[in-house]
Amino acid sequence: MKSNWNSDKSLLLTRILTIAVLFLAGAALFCIPVITEWYDAVSEQKPIHTVLNIVLYASDLFGIFGALQLHRLLLHISKKKLFVQENVTCFRLISWCCFGVAALWAVLTFWRRLALFVALIAAFAGLILRVLKNLLEQAVELREENDYTI
Amino acid sequence: MPIIVNLDVMMAKRKISAGELAARIDITPANLSILKNNKAKAVRFSTLEAICRELDCQPGDVLEYIREE
Repeated sequence: MKSNWNSDKSLLLTRILTIAVLFLAGAALFCIPVITEWYDAVSEQKPIHTVLNIVLYASDLFGIFGALQLHRLLLHISKKKLFVQENVTCFRLISWCCFGVAALWAVLTFWRRLALFVALIAAFAGLILRVLKNLLEQAVELREENDYTI
Repeated sequence: MPIIVNLDVMMAKRKISAGELAARIDITPANLSILKNNKAKAVRFSTLEAICRELDCQPGDVLEYIREE
């Protein structure tokens, strides 16, 4: 059977998923106090209500900002603006968001050792994005050189 | 960039307009403008050859190296 799947549909699906993530992250802002209360209730360790609230709120804000940058990046891709400086900026900002989340969860490690895993995953994601940003930066330079070769 | 394109000088000497030169060397007027205004990052040998042929000059008449301070 012939598949009707193409890059436009794939891009549309990614944009829908990004918008869904944005809404989820927005909705999560209202649920964070409930989540922390539930966590403290089920956790057998000393309650960390305030610290967890701060980390979750800040992580969520980083997440919303990162998702907005993803949305901006996808808009550029849909307009066929691929190798442009704006996309490099989007990648850089998303990567810093990941490092920001990693730093927050690294601080949470003082209270909960398992938070280190989240910090490592976020830092690794940030590192991958940073490599992609460097790659795109080189591609932008090559495109400019090619455009200005007469 | 320390490489200066003196195309406008040679064009004035040969009394040829930008549009006419662009048509003769088969590049767009926009690209010729990039070249004339020193915005180009590189010049193909084929373009340089066409410029020298149409302006009856040497590459050194069109390109000049100026040492940066």
